[in-house]
Amino acid sequence: MSDKKTVSLALSNVSHSYGTTSVLQTLNLQVKNGEVVVLVGPSGCGKTTILNLLSGHLQPSTGRVQRTGNIRTVYQHDGLFPWLTVEENIAMGLRSVSDTAQREKEKQDLVELIHLRGFENHYPHQLSGGMRQRVELARALAGQSDILLMDEPFSALDYQTRLRMRLELVRILEQRPRTVVFVTHDIEEAAQLADRVLVLSSRPATVCRELEILTPRPRDLTGSTVIETMKTILMELGLQH
Amino acid sequence: MINSKHTSSSQKKLQILLPVLVLAGVILLWIIITYTNLFPAYALPTPGAVLKSFKEEFESGRLMNDIIASLWRVAVGFVLSATLGIPAGLWLGQHLYARQACVPMLNFFRFLSPLAWIPFAILWFHIGDKPAVFLIFMATFFPLALATMSAVATIPSIYFKVAKDYNYKGIELLTKVTFPSILPQIITALRVSYGIAWVVIVAAEMVGCQDGLGYGIWDARNGLRLDSAVCYMIVIGVLGMGIDRLLAQLTKLPNVRWGYER
Amino acid sequence: MKFTFGKLMLGIAVVLTTLGLLRYKPWKKNSGVTARDVIHEGVNKKATRELTVGYLPVTCHLTCPVTDFASKTTQTNTNFNSRVFSDFPTVVSALEAKQVQATFMIVPLAMKLREQGVPVKICYLGHRDGSEVIVGKNSRIRSLKDLKGKKMAIPSLYSNQNFVIHKMMDDFGMQPNDIEFIILPPPDMPTSLAAGAIDAYFVGEPFCAKAELDGYGKVLYYARDIWPNFISCALVVHEDLIKQNPDVVQDLVRGIAASGAWAETHRVEAAKLVSPYFRQDEKVLNYVLTSDPKRVSYVQLTPTDEDLQQIEYQGIKLKLLSKKIPMYELIDRKFVPNEIIPAPIDEASIPNILPAGKK
Ligand SMILES: Nc1ncnc2c1ncn2[C@@H]1O[C@H](COP(=O)(O)OP(=O)(O)OP(=O)(O)O)[C@@H](O)[C@H]1O
Ligand SMILES: [Mg+2]
Repeated sequence: MSDKKTVSLALSNVSHSYGTTSVLQTLNLQVKNGEVVVLVGPSGCGKTTILNLLSGHLQPSTGRVQRTGNIRTVYQHDGLFPWLTVEENIAMGLRSVSDTAQREKEKQDLVELIHLRGFENHYPHQLSGGMRQRVELARALAGQSDILLMDEPFSALDYQTRLRMRLELVRILEQRPRTVVFVTHDIEEAAQLADRVLVLSSRPATVCRELEILTPRPRDLTGSTVIETMKTILMELGLQH
Repeated sequence: MINSKHTSSSQKKLQILLPVLVLAGVILLWIIITYTNLFPAYALPTPGAVLKSFKEEFESGRLMNDIIASLWRVAVGFVLSATLGIPAGLWLGQHLYARQACVPMLNFFRFLSPLAWIPFAILWFHIGDKPAVFLIFMATFFPLALATMSAVATIPSIYFKVAKDYNYKGIELLTKVTFPSILPQIITALRVSYGIAWVVIVAAEMVGCQDGLGYGIWDARNGLRLDSAVCYMIVIGVLGMGIDRLLAQLTKLPNVRWGYER
Repeated sequence: MKFTFGKLMLGIAVVLTTLGLLRYKPWKKNSGVTARDVIHEGVNKKATRELTVGYLPVTCHLTCPVTDFASKTTQTNTNFNSRVFSDFPTVVSALEAKQVQATFMIVPLAMKLREQGVPVKICYLGHRDGSEVIVGKNSRIRSLKDLKGKKMAIPSLYSNQNFVIHKMMDDFGMQPNDIEFIILPPPDMPTSLAAGAIDAYFVGEPFCAKAELDGYGKVLYYARDIWPNFISCALVVHEDLIKQNPDVVQDLVRGIAASGAWAETHRVEAAKLVSPYFRQDEKVLNYVLTSDPKRVSYVQLTPTDEDLQQIEYQGIKLKLLSKKIPMYELIDRKFVPNEIIPAPIDEASIPNILPAGKK
């Protein structure tokens, strides 16, 4: 839907510090149109900070952030408005669609897409964690969004659900391609989803390894690409020799 | 399945039965005390006398008039303080400096018993509905404003981030994000301050009024009619409880349920 | 059901309008108390003007509801509505706000008001005597001297009871702090005495009779034994009303005087008449009015300079009043009729039950 628009997202020489805590130092990051970039790194290294800089919730101390296109973030959890139903939460993403009929159709499509038919009128607190994350995803995908920032969206889920959600995400992105920056602790996730993995060092964060994965998605969890990629990342993080 | 259904229905019965039993026990105790003259008649009227005075007050139309007078004053004072207090709390909650500047003052007035205002209420508003409305306002404005304020100040920042992602701005941000996110707390604050209002109205009507439930007690006392005073006390208690039950229904609304189920 | 802002507002509006309508009953005509040129629906079709007079449910103010009743059942030019109050501070507030322009009030309070610049005049008196010092039925107190170190309740610092008891202590050679005085609302006095919280109290009727009737109190002194022609309350009128509507005040004083004369000789009927106005037990009122003629009297109610000077002197001595007000400023006797004819109230017209919705 927004294919015509050129999407660009870049950090150039960005540094950021909270008070005296320096979190990022002269970081450069370029995200290509339609690419899925996955950031992995130790806890507290500044991944969430990067996303906040990209989305504009934070202004960098120095450096430049460049973004065109509509950005939406999928949070780890509790990003849904609890006073709105599933349907209403999804409709938030469709606010700019003025045609009611089209909005209604789009909403139905999205509910269908995330397999939540029958739950349209449920409130977030009546859903399971996995269902909630799917609603968040649907909301972020709705309407004219170009870029998805995802901050550990599946980390609160159990392992099986996480595996399933990963497949779901791949399926959904196939139908609605987006430019994605995805933060995770889960190396499996990175290996299965990414076009490009950026391994970050601990604070202040710098990119210490960049991995391109050319194998098309969906990727088999026990397939050689995933295993190889995981090995490389683990080595980079100093967890395997 | 059948078994569990059975227990839940018998639990429900118990839920009704137990309070009724306690109530009956209290009335029985009252009857025993009055009939054994444990207290002299002038110190504790008999249930019979109270029932009779209830009938009398009801038939003369006084009781209805007093109930309406009290409800009217509480309603007006309460709506006034909600329409001013909640926006004030919203504003204060969003402005750190204003909050720092005003909170000590608000707290000062909150801890000042509204009854302390009685002399001024009468001086400024003379007698009639106005002083009572003023006292209700003074009793409920500050707790409401403070509760709203602290609710706003503690809204998770993630809601505002999401709101920014989805382009909520200005008045829409206020009515579609800020307000609903504190609605559960506002409802709780409303219930609490309604409780204060109902307690205050009785005291407020003892001076400067010519009708109302509080006045009814005062008047009964002047007329050396404790039976009618007890009748008014019962009406006040029952009404207060009933209205609180009504307000409690607000917490059952689906779009605030989340606030009470976490 | 969804909780929307609109629905909330609608709900509030509905509740408020319903209550407001019920409260002010706009469909009921004749609800405006301030309406002038009222011709009321009573037997007396001639009344063309109306005045509201304040009173408290004490026998000292008995002539007020009697006048109310008389103005509706006999020939008068003015319709009088009695408006009951429950305490004097409220009466003062109503008077200052001119919500009532004539009211009964304890005399020292009227002096205090005058002193503070509220232009009020004493036009007539409520009744004579009508107060007693009450002690516990089985107490060994025989005279004021026995009250030394004991607790005695009085209704207000500005009550004549307070003034009089201090004069009496003087006469007995007692010090002002020999008796511990406690200010109590009159209705609480009988019960406080019964509970033993106080040893004696000095107040107006019917709060004395109550203790006697319930069997735990007895009279130690009648007011008239301490201070002959004891005055407790007076009819106080705002000067504005006297200036603007002297005819109404004339009617008022005549009506009150006539009611007093009637009550003096129709005591049983008077008790029956006022009990619904006072919302008090007829038995108690009947006892006050009929048990002993020493208790109350409704004659000789024209305020005299000596009467009030005596009270003023005592008030200044107690430092409750601060300056001497000339009697001509305080008293207005010109409305007192030369000849007082008892109100021609028809006993048969006194209802047996409470007049509904009496306000
Ligand atoms: N609001 C803040 N104020 C001060 N310091 C902050 C703030 N937010 C983050 N930090 C600091 O910045 C560092 C990076 O935080 P950030 O949340 O970006 O880490 P992260 O990589 O997302 O960690 P995690 O994987 O645990 O979520 C942290 O070490 C923290 O100390
Ligand atoms: Mg993080």
